Amino acid sequence: MLKSKVALVTGSSRGIGRAIALKLAGEGADVIINYFRRGQAAEQTAKDVEKLGVTAKLIKANVGDPKKLNEMFDTIDSSFGRLDIFISNAASGLPRFALDLDAKGWDWTMDINAKAFLLGAQRAAKLMEGRDGKIVTVTSLGSHMVLPGYAAIGVSKAALEALTRYLAIELAPRGICVNAVAASLVTTEAGMLYAKIAKEQMGESPSWQTTPAGRLVTPEDLANVVAFLCSEEAFMIRGQIITIDGGTTLVPFGFTSKGG
Amino acid sequence: MSAIEETIKDTIVKIVHCDREVLIPKSTFQDMKADSLDMVQVLVALEDEFGIEIPDEDAQKFKTFGDFVTYIEAKVAEKKGNA
Repeated sequence: MLKSKVALVTGSSRGIGRAIALKLAGEGADVIINYFRRGQAAEQTAKDVEKLGVTAKLIKANVGDPKKLNEMFDTIDSSFGRLDIFISNAASGLPRFALDLDAKGWDWTMDINAKAFLLGAQRAAKLMEGRDGKIVTVTSLGSHMVLPGYAAIGVSKAALEALTRYLAIELAPRGICVNAVAASLVTTEAGMLYAKIAKEQMGESPSWQTTPAGRLVTPEDLANVVAFLCSEEAFMIRGQIITIDGGTTLVPFGFTSKGG
Repeated sequence: MSAIEETIKDTIVKIVHCDREVLIPKSTFQDMKADSLDMVQVLVALEDEFGIEIPDEDAQKFKTFGDFVTYIEAKVAEKKGNA
């Protein structure tokens, strides 16, 4: 149970972030819902969080902009004066091949997906002083596998995963746990849009439809693992990237309905 | 031409690096050679510049530079009215 904990979930207007916000709220945490462009969806998430009997606070901020990120943490500091859980989930990126990437697309993706985690974790750690904080990031298989048109995002996720390990060790003496969850294709609006683009590049593949476990990964699958990583039961898990893929990455030559 | 329109032009030229002459009411984002990332950056810059919020739900309806100007002029007027 996360009763009376304060949790920040970046990018929680929809998709994975929304599912995490609702899961943590269901466990009793007050949730700060950060969003950037989807105001209406964020308001809906806040309403749904409040229906679970906890407090929801909306903060609009582009986490890729250090000034806006700092303002968000200033607001959290003045409103709550503390933070127990920081979920660095917000992500963006242009679907481009490495050879088509320009400096602007690279910076945009790295700023939102990787730099925001570094700067956010620094601020979060201060608000977690003496509180046994939990930090979880959301990464993807593209950090170490080559996915079509995923170059910038994949690199940003690799940086995010390396940072997860460094921060796990640097923050361990302060009682703060840092981990990550990595999923294969997730049934979100963004995930399905990516699958459409990837299909055009690579053709049909079972991995756009299902996994060896019989279905695609849902946002709730990730939220369940994130909630576990935020619990005291996960205290000894540090700097790990937990893969949630229904077994997809265990079968490099693809899978059939009979298994491997 | 309104001061608001001038500011919008300044912002688009700075971010998209298109010619100022391209920005006429009928010009589309293709005419500006702007990609989706450019457009998000333009929206964010305009929100900061005018102290307004442009939800994605509204931005998705913009087709031309003229749509941009009309929407933002209305938002700014609305903000003044509420002040």
